[in-house]
Amino acid sequence: MASTESAPLVHSEWMQFAPLIILLPMIAFAVILFLGRVFNGHPFWKKNLKEGGLIALPVMGASLILSLLLISEFLKGNSGVDQVFEQIAWINTGIWNGGSTTEPVSFGFGIYVDHVTVMLLFVASFLCLLINMFSIGYMNTDPINDNRNHRFYAEFVLFCAGMLGMVLADSFLWLFIFWEIMGLCSYLLIGFYYERPSAASAAKKAFLTTRIGDVFLMIGLVMLWDLFGSLDYAVVFATENIDAVAASSAGTLQWALGLMFIGAVGKSAQFPLHVWLPDAMEGPTPVSALIHAATMVNAGLYLVARMFPFFGAESLHGDLDDLAFIIASVGGITAVMAAAIAFVQMDLKKVLAYSTMSQLAYIFTGLGCAMYLANTLDWHHDSDAHYIVVVAFGAALFHLFNHAMAKGMLFMASGSVIHEVHHAHHHLHHHDDHGDGHDENHHDDDFDAQSMENMGGLASKMPITATAMLVGSASIMGLPLIGGFWSKEGIIANAWRVAQDDPRFLFPAMCVLLGAAMTGFYMSRMWFKTFAGKPNNEVAAHVGPTNIWIKTPLFILTFVTLSSIIFAGMGFTHWASDTEYSFLSEKNLLDGILYEMEHAFANSDPFFFILTYVAIFMGAVLGPGLAMALYGGKLAEGEEAKPWMRPVIALSAWANKRFHFDNTAIRESTLATALENRLYIDEYYDKAMVNIVAGFSNKVAEADTEVIDGTIKAIESGSQSLSTVVRSMTTGSARDYILMVAVGTLAIFLFIWGVA
Amino acid sequence: MSNLTTVEAFGDGFVSALCPELMLFAGLLLLIIVPNIGKGTFRIPGTQIRLPWLMGGTRFKFTSDPRLPAWIASITLGGAFLNVLYVFSQGLERVVIVSESGKELLLINGFSRIFEMIFFGALALAAFSSMNRLQVKGTGSKVSEQELYNNRRQADFYILMVTCALGMSVVALAQDLFVLFIGLELASFSTYVLVAFLKESKVGVESGMKYFIVGSVASGVGLYGLSMLYLWAGSLQFSVLATAFAESGTTALPLIGIGFVLVGFGFKVSAAPFHFAAPDAYAGAISPVAGVLATASKAMGMLGLVRMLLIVAAPESSDGSAVWLGCLGAMAAITMTWGNLAALGSDNPKRMLAYSSVAHAGYMLAALTAVGAWNWDATVSGDAGAAAVAVMTALLFHLVVLVAFKLGAFLVLSILESEGGASRLSSLGGLAKREPLLAVAMFIFMISLAGVPPMAGFLSKLLVIMGIVRIAVGDMGAEIADGGVYVLADMHWVWWLALLMVINSAISVFYYLRVVVVMFFDEPEEGREGPLPSGWQVRLAILACVVTTLFVGIAGDALIRLCEMAAQSLNYSW
Repeated sequence: MASTESAPLVHSEWMQFAPLIILLPMIAFAVILFLGRVFNGHPFWKKNLKEGGLIALPVMGASLILSLLLISEFLKGNSGVDQVFEQIAWINTGIWNGGSTTEPVSFGFGIYVDHVTVMLLFVASFLCLLINMFSIGYMNTDPINDNRNHRFYAEFVLFCAGMLGMVLADSFLWLFIFWEIMGLCSYLLIGFYYERPSAASAAKKAFLTTRIGDVFLMIGLVMLWDLFGSLDYAVVFATENIDAVAASSAGTLQWALGLMFIGAVGKSAQFPLHVWLPDAMEGPTPVSALIHAATMVNAGLYLVARMFPFFGAESLHGDLDDLAFIIASVGGITAVMAAAIAFVQMDLKKVLAYSTMSQLAYIFTGLGCAMYLANTLDWHHDSDAHYIVVVAFGAALFHLFNHAMAKGMLFMASGSVIHEVHHAHHHLHHHDDHGDGHDENHHDDDFDAQSMENMGGLASKMPITATAMLVGSASIMGLPLIGGFWSKEGIIANAWRVAQDDPRFLFPAMCVLLGAAMTGFYMSRMWFKTFAGKPNNEVAAHVGPTNIWIKTPLFILTFVTLSSIIFAGMGFTHWASDTEYSFLSEKNLLDGILYEMEHAFANSDPFFFILTYVAIFMGAVLGPGLAMALYGGKLAEGEEAKPWMRPVIALSAWANKRFHFDNTAIRESTLATALENRLYIDEYYDKAMVNIVAGFSNKVAEADTEVIDGTIKAIESGSQSLSTVVRSMTTGSARDYILMVAVGTLAIFLFIWGVA
Repeated sequence: MSNLTTVEAFGDGFVSALCPELMLFAGLLLLIIVPNIGKGTFRIPGTQIRLPWLMGGTRFKFTSDPRLPAWIASITLGGAFLNVLYVFSQGLERVVIVSESGKELLLINGFSRIFEMIFFGALALAAFSSMNRLQVKGTGSKVSEQELYNNRRQADFYILMVTCALGMSVVALAQDLFVLFIGLELASFSTYVLVAFLKESKVGVESGMKYFIVGSVASGVGLYGLSMLYLWAGSLQFSVLATAFAESGTTALPLIGIGFVLVGFGFKVSAAPFHFAAPDAYAGAISPVAGVLATASKAMGMLGLVRMLLIVAAPESSDGSAVWLGCLGAMAAITMTWGNLAALGSDNPKRMLAYSSVAHAGYMLAALTAVGAWNWDATVSGDAGAAAVAVMTALLFHLVVLVAFKLGAFLVLSILESEGGASRLSSLGGLAKREPLLAVAMFIFMISLAGVPPMAGFLSKLLVIMGIVRIAVGDMGAEIADGGVYVLADMHWVWWLALLMVINSAISVFYYLRVVVVMFFDEPEEGREGPLPSGWQVRLAILACVVTTLFVGIAGDALIRLCEMAAQSLNYSW
């Protein structure tokens, strides 16, 4: 992994089409926007092209196919660092360097593929396609989006292009450029319903908060440039260059990487730049799925994973462990904090938003630990250490994969729920004669289709959605054998492994272990409140099944999540991080699965054996048990869930009957109130803004109007009056003109006379 | 570069070398003859026999078409332009035309060719776009349209255009003070009449008269200077004068002669304080003519200065301080500042453009000063002439692209003029609503004049400033080579001209953008709401200007190389 020796280029005729992965969506962006403008409201455009949705879909499909081809080519080549597509020169410039220009510096675009790229590329292109499908079912059936869906699809594909470009770019410069494209698109998409003040301000908040991180990222990149003289991966990851920098300025490098990490914190919504993510749920649900599960938040993780070669470099051994600790700790804090806030959220999507934050925090902790291990162990020569590092890094990436799949699915499922609840509400109050028409308006104003208060008992009405949600939640919780279990266990185990070496890491290790239990609670709470029990109100009782565009992606993702044991068996963790590990050659699939299971449940090291069962107990028994006791319950009379959901519902009903306790006191406690107010962090930020930043801004504005504008105005009025004087010399009389000529001639004459 | 070919006047190779000029000459004859072809007859004296001889009498329909002279002139000028372009593309040749007694009369090389391109290009555009303009109505005139349709007047106008081009190209080729002066006066007199051409309008006649008087005085002083040079060197040949200057140029007589020549050409480039008649002339003349004054005529003045100052009186001492340098530098500084300040308060768009062209003259004089300031001692400055060629290139490039956006701006005004005047800023009001494309074109011209990227004007200004700074830095070559400490004070003073240029550019943005504000945000004047009078010729010419402005600004390499070739060919004679 991260082998920096130059590997042979993958030469394949059609690989020159790899840039199309990015270019196609970009072209589609322009095409959809243009056609949408021209044919807005046209029946063919609306019915047959779904206002651009069916233009975006094949494009995303093509991107996925090309990505898969690229990935397979990479796997066949099985080499470490690949620049599949050689750089196209973009800007060539000499840089002024105290008296002489240096060698021309060229900024070009190329494509860089390694294991991290491959993982993210698959996640992004696969989920983008599925979310695109889902969008067609979701966006085009809602009359509120009529005649403006082309804007959605255009921004959607541009967003995808941004993510794919960022993943494929071969330099930090292009990473940053695509990063900013994503930032722009997230602003546009979150503010899609810009007529709602809350959406507009959420978009602004997301943009500004991530911008804070971006500024630091940019400073970090400039520092990196200063150290290496380039931002190309091929240059900055070259062993000899890292050695040179390590010898002279390892401390500066740590600062540069630390600043870049702040950018990742902003993008991936980690504490303390997390405030934008929950608000970002103002965007349409497919946007939530796209931005907040599949692409944008992964960008931050990708950036941190990209820094791995620095941590793994031999010459920087032990120099970057502080940064690794910071990364792990930020993850630890966010994991617990977000999970705690998720306890009290009533909004379905907000629960998922906090869950996203929390799970991303897990990945950050995993990455931090892996980086610590890589930085402190002698993994280049010791094969045991090598194995540990590979597993640690792989676990984090595998969790990224699992989380993306599960969260994409959860968001789409929640969208499906919201969609149907909304429709049911609409149907109930606008088309039913027996409906309580007199307070129709009242309902319209108050009704919140996203609130779990308005759901309950939906398991029988939306079987596929409920199943998907069940599997997704199980994966996020890390129920044994499903999805996130493998990777979450890996992250927790590695955090504790590092904590054995370095006591500082006890803090993130404790956090992730505690977080496991909390995840179990809030995810179960969400599922039971939505799907189990009796319908909370009339609306929930009228919810119907969803359409095919929504069902298909849910079905596919359920399958992917459930089959994660196969991925685990294929040695996905190893493969995700170590290109020398060939998952097909070492053992067959069954052996692999058995090996993984044995490793997970019967670890030979007693410490990790206990740790595993503690984690399983907390995540799979304690958390969900509590949730069942509080929120479980039978479905309404006559309602029948699908067979695979029946035991879950029955169990919850039993737990609810047997262990139910009154939690009013807890719910009304100060802590709960604080959590409901997001620990007042947003308020503090607001206060800081109003008192410090706004005050400062006012002063600056004053200085601007008084001093700068004043000076400019003075110059302006001064030159205007001077202009009057000057122009008054143009009298209009030829006599005066000749006089001036004479004066000029005389002046020249005298001047030359004087010199000569 | 090819060797110098010597051709005797009217000898072998004379026609091919002077092809563009001869084309103009032929066009001139056509302009005189063709519109006069009619049913005129000649009666043999003493008899009743009338022989048809086709001159005079009732004109044929074809020959009485008011557009005919315009077409002839446009085709002639355009053809000459294309001819020069073709010669350029074939690679440069250097031909010197000598008289029987062996005196050099005309020199054809890259440098003169590029000026021919400027002259012919600008005049062709102006002629082409006046085609339907003169037929409509004049500024403030009360004459009937029929009167302006008068064929004779049309022919006169275009004859003057072509003689103007002919005179200018003679200036470009001249290698002898006498030939130079002849060409200069031919061109000048044509422009005087062109300015006053609309005799029905009081402004036109008055401004033409003023322009003529002041121009005559300046020409007189210049001629006096030339005669002093003759008195001193005993020859009018550039080559002889150059040798004489190299030997003993620091005596008072030739220097004062040069100083007076500076006055003559200073008027042509409208440098302060000889520029006073220019704003009046621009405002009084019809817009295409004003555009020619601001581009071709100015280029001619610049050309004369380059010839006289750099060839005849090249910096004679190795410290790079030619005597005329101080004069020129002071003139440049005053001119650019004066022009910009005066333009700031100007409410008449044509006057504003006139002052802006004064300011541009200042920039070009600054570039010329910098060329003179170049330290020619190769041991001090390393690559001899490279920086000087760079500035010269910038100067030529500026003159070429100026044709695109300055003439273009005047052409836009000319459309407004044919509607009912363009002498107030408010007459541009609401142009964006009335004619969005024209407004965008004007916007492009304005920001190009102001020097905003990616317009051609930015590139030219950048090249000039870069060149000046390079020369100022190159002057410190010795210190840099020694690795010694170098401070700002060590730089040659032309550096300050570059700084002043930057400051002046900043000021100029104000009045250029004011035009844009008026076009895009103000309401049209009363009674001027609808679209402007049509006329595809002028619009086509404007389009050509816009395309050139944008294209050269983005991909100016080819043109810069062309200018560099021209600048280098000048270097040969240094």
